[in-house]
Amino acid sequence: MLIEQCAYGNRWRAVSPAAKGLFALGGFIAAFAAGQPKAALTAAGLITLVAVTGAGVPLSRFTRIALPPLGFLLVGCLSLALSLGWTTDAQQGQELVVRWLPDGWEPILNLAGRSIGALAALLFLAATTPLTDLIALLRRLHLPEVLLELMVLCYRMLFVFSESVHDTRTAQAARLGYAAPRLALRSLGSLAGNLTVQIWQRAHALHVAAQSRNNDGPLRFLEPEYANAGRDLALAGAGAAVLIGIALVLS
Amino acid sequence: MNQHAPETLLEFADVTFRYPDGNIGLDGCSLRIARGSRNALIGANGAGKTTLFQHANGLLRPQGGTIRYAGQPIDYSRAGLRRLRSEVGLVFQNPDQQLFSASVREDVSFGPLNLGLDTDTVRQRVAKALRAVGMDKLSDRPVHNLSFGQKKRVCIAGVLAMEPQLLVLDEPMAGLDHAMRQELLAVLDDLHARGITLLLATHDIDFAYRWTDRIHLIAAGACAASFATPELPQHADALTAAGMPVPGIVELHRLLCQQGHPAFAAAPTAPRSVGELITLLNQGKDS
Repeated sequence: MLIEQCAYGNRWRAVSPAAKGLFALGGFIAAFAAGQPKAALTAAGLITLVAVTGAGVPLSRFTRIALPPLGFLLVGCLSLALSLGWTTDAQQGQELVVRWLPDGWEPILNLAGRSIGALAALLFLAATTPLTDLIALLRRLHLPEVLLELMVLCYRMLFVFSESVHDTRTAQAARLGYAAPRLALRSLGSLAGNLTVQIWQRAHALHVAAQSRNNDGPLRFLEPEYANAGRDLALAGAGAAVLIGIALVLS
Repeated sequence: MNQHAPETLLEFADVTFRYPDGNIGLDGCSLRIARGSRNALIGANGAGKTTLFQHANGLLRPQGGTIRYAGQPIDYSRAGLRRLRSEVGLVFQNPDQQLFSASVREDVSFGPLNLGLDTDTVRQRVAKALRAVGMDKLSDRPVHNLSFGQKKRVCIAGVLAMEPQLLVLDEPMAGLDHAMRQELLAVLDDLHARGITLLLATHDIDFAYRWTDRIHLIAAGACAASFATPELPQHADALTAAGMPVPGIVELHRLLCQQGHPAFAAAPTAPRSVGELITLLNQGKDS
């Protein structure tokens, strides 16, 4: 929901998603082209600066969105910092050995730097572009129709079913459905069962509704139009080039 | 036939339909919808209203009887259904059943694109339909951030963009508060003024009496009665048999007439709304 709020509420909502996608792609390339952690982190900092000052995404929200993936990154880095192995000793036989930083800090910092750079680029795109615009962009890029339709329906139904889950949970809680662990487990089971039936019913209802509007197969939608798309694309290309340039110079 | 009778746009003649599980959907249902009129289909839950609507749009095919649109029996070929569904727009009761895309503008474009129209025409139609329902300012909002009433209006826009002659609305007022109802009513008034024929299902007998031109009563899959709305007081028994109450204003008028209120001595016809009743009472006081 936080990403949704940013995506619909930022200053660059009306900017072409192709331009934002190009800038994010530039950020990705810069992160992977960076030979030094400081280069990747500089690229990440610049992308965050653009998101905050340019698109007007509040820094606190951007940071909150970044926290869960940063947590995963931390776990990944820890697994690199520790190494498990067997040593062969002539007298004592095989022995399990835990090593701390077997290859030093460098590979960990490189991985963390690149990941943070790539994460910043991805979050820039997610926090400034609603998913409907991204799907429209993917349609223009000729992604297979079936995948796009799945994305459209999943995104729409995500909200329909989350509302349904909320309503059902509230109704269950009002009748002490979550008063004890045993009851909670039972309520959760019936919630899942109820939702499964609802999914079937909704799927049928959507099919009927599509037929009533003359649908005969693929789901067709109008592509949004963006003013100054060419100018935005050129600016985004220049921004992407600057990011890549800085990453290469600092490496 | 009377030369001045309005043209029949949609006609059900002795239509029967039974669902695969044996439930009766329609049972010898006959009714006529005149072009340019406002019609209410009234009946208890499970009476067959939604089944009738799905027949009107060609989603269901009658197992007996005939349905005619603009004088011609419905052609159930692919091309025939395509024509019918572009002429008869169906708005479902639950907006979440109808709205596919999370983008308002995208969803409204779904129907006209299915008609095979070019992008420029679709763009114009989408803008026009969103203006007609007063949603043009919110066209960039995601569907999940709209209120229930706004979602309903998007659903209507999605059907209007196909430029139908007959708009069929399944309980459009259900779940709406007073303000939302008034907004939706203004939209429907505007559509009627543009010549679109309206057929809506409702449980609100007071609203149906106040607003429509013709009322069709449906009970157990059959059309129990069909009459011009001003004649409703004469069909009170049919309403009761269909499990519907008589409008409060009709009851009040009958009581005032029984008591010999002077305001109604010269105007024995029941008023259609509280406003009309008050006007009559004031006129009686002045005279």
